Amino acid sequence: MKIVCRIVRVSLIVFTAIFFITSVGWTQAKVVKIGFIGPLTGPNAAQGVGARNAFDLAIREANASGKFQYKIEMVALDDASDPATGVAAALKLVSDPAVVAASGHWNSPVALATIHTFHTYRIPFIVWGAIHPDITGFYKYPGVNRVAPTLVQENSPLCDWVITELGYKAFSIISDTSSYGEMNTKAFRPMAENKGVKILSVDSVTVGTTDFRPILTKIKGLNPDAVYFGGVVMEGALIKDQMEKVGLKRMFCAISGIKDDKFLEVAGPSGEGALSIKPGKPIEKLEGGTKFVKSYETAGYREPYGAYGPNAYDSAGIILEAISKVGPEDKTALMKYIRGIKYKGLMGETTFDATGQTTNIIVSRFVGQDGKWVVWEDSAYSKGARKLPKP
Amino acid sequence: MTEIIQQIINALLMGCTYTLIAIGFNLFFGALNVVHFSHGDVCILGAFVTLILYSLAKFLGLLVILPKFIYVPLMIIMAMIITGFLGVFFERIVIKPFRYAPLLMVLVATVALGIVVRETVRLSFPHGSNPQIFPRILPQHSFHIGGVLLRLDNLIIFGITLFLIAMMFLFIKRTKMGAAIRAISQDGEAAMMMGINMDRTVAATFLLGSALGAVAGILIGAYNNIIRFDMGLMGGVKGFSAAVVGGLGNVYGAIIGGLILGFVETFAAAFIPGGTPYTDVFAFLVVIFFLIFRPSGILGEKVYEKV
Repeated sequence: MKIVCRIVRVSLIVFTAIFFITSVGWTQAKVVKIGFIGPLTGPNAAQGVGARNAFDLAIREANASGKFQYKIEMVALDDASDPATGVAAALKLVSDPAVVAASGHWNSPVALATIHTFHTYRIPFIVWGAIHPDITGFYKYPGVNRVAPTLVQENSPLCDWVITELGYKAFSIISDTSSYGEMNTKAFRPMAENKGVKILSVDSVTVGTTDFRPILTKIKGLNPDAVYFGGVVMEGALIKDQMEKVGLKRMFCAISGIKDDKFLEVAGPSGEGALSIKPGKPIEKLEGGTKFVKSYETAGYREPYGAYGPNAYDSAGIILEAISKVGPEDKTALMKYIRGIKYKGLMGETTFDATGQTTNIIVSRFVGQDGKWVVWEDSAYSKGARKLPKP
Repeated sequence: MTEIIQQIINALLMGCTYTLIAIGFNLFFGALNVVHFSHGDVCILGAFVTLILYSLAKFLGLLVILPKFIYVPLMIIMAMIITGFLGVFFERIVIKPFRYAPLLMVLVATVALGIVVRETVRLSFPHGSNPQIFPRILPQHSFHIGGVLLRLDNLIIFGITLFLIAMMFLFIKRTKMGAAIRAISQDGEAAMMMGINMDRTVAATFLLGSALGAVAGILIGAYNNIIRFDMGLMGGVKGFSAAVVGGLGNVYGAIIGGLILGFVETFAAAFIPGGTPYTDVFAFLVVIFFLIFRPSGILGEKVYEKV
């Protein structure tokens, strides 16, 4: 009996010790994961990779700050600008119990496909780059927020700029056949017509098309002042380049979908004078812009942070602040905290309205000049040293 | 009127690339009765080979030393040779083992080969999933004649296509190997009995078809300034469609088929309201029309089988 008691006692001590040792070890090694989804491959990879790096930078800084009792880890997945791939990535994230929140997407069709998954699985989700208005305005999911302005909020200042300020009065519209492209046409056309603009033609092109000469030759015959493009980088760059090649030397403008260095790289010399608009202030004019650029360079990322790097950086910052305040366990509390947040980040102060849409909607204007996007106000075009095609 | 002439130029240029791809399909079908479904991928492989050669030449500083009119033709010829031999290699490992097997097996094998080629390009090329900027290897000058804008690069593309087609016809009509290709196209067994080396002739056919395909890939890249690893899939389908419309197995038919597809796509985009996203639909409707009403194509001969 004595021996039995001793065995039981020793076993208890051993098991208790093992329990404490392992539980302490588990606490120290506890990992909280935050998901990131974006186009890491495919025609818009430059946008996705830059945003992923900026997102990663925010997480690295959080881990280095020592504010968190656990290790924060980024799970970066590729949506390849494809809704089906995006949904598969979203399902992978929500299936991982360690993932407490996520941020994603540059392409609106992908975001429109995945937000339902995050809503169903109650995972707080912040859209960093997709700008279709329905993502927040139509579905109004409590856990889905967005740090970028909608395409309506981008088209409005573009109209003011190119129509009211620069005086272009006859437009041809080309958009891609995605929901993003269609929505751009729907947003731009009435705004422009209300300002007295004549829309000479409206055409749509399939994403992935490489030869736009037939449609551009047709538009050349209509003799518009300008071409508005409602689409993204690759098609936009090819259209701008082929406009020059068919002799359609007219002003070309688009919202932030084309505002990427890749656009100017693909368009080559034809990219000169292309006009675009981008959410937020130029990085050098942001309060923490210089620090961000320096940290990004020090971190050793090979790819540039791109047009949406600051958005992704602030998305991560918002999620991290929410985790630090309410903890990673209660996702409903995280959602509530994010919706009510007043976050002072790289892009300024971000708050969300009742639909989850950011109220921080400053946009900047850019022009393609010598192979670089130059802030309009600082450009040779604005100063009169170079001329855009005449209206 | 100017616009119509401009659209005809657009259509001719689109037709050029389809023609060069379709010639390959017709050569292979004529020689072996095989539809080489990965031919479109081999064509784009030619463009990627050129891109590698260009990067290599840039790295070695040759682009600075040599003038453009020397290094560009050199690169194109080298890409043609490399892609041509790759075409022969693919025939040896994928098509030859099925020479006496049911046709369906060869078809599946060539489809699988296309996937292998595409994925190899995607995985082995840096950032292979993304579109690659193709260097502007052709002169970019333009000039007007009677209100019509003509570009030097377009004229060169047109000239290269015409030159290659003429050379190919001379090769097929005037050389011993050309005669051998024609012979095995008519009757492989009889040709072998006459002493024609089947393996060598088939290899020559694949060398020729793949080399011409490489030029098609390079011209697509030079025309659009970008190439993508998966462009060969649609390019192959279009080239095959052009071959079917012109008459599968008839090399002259490839030219007519390629031009018809080029014209249909261009004019659908230009003159049918809202037709731009549906250009492929119109092109394939034409193919379906031919399959129903003239399955042998425009220049194809009806085949009668004795039973």
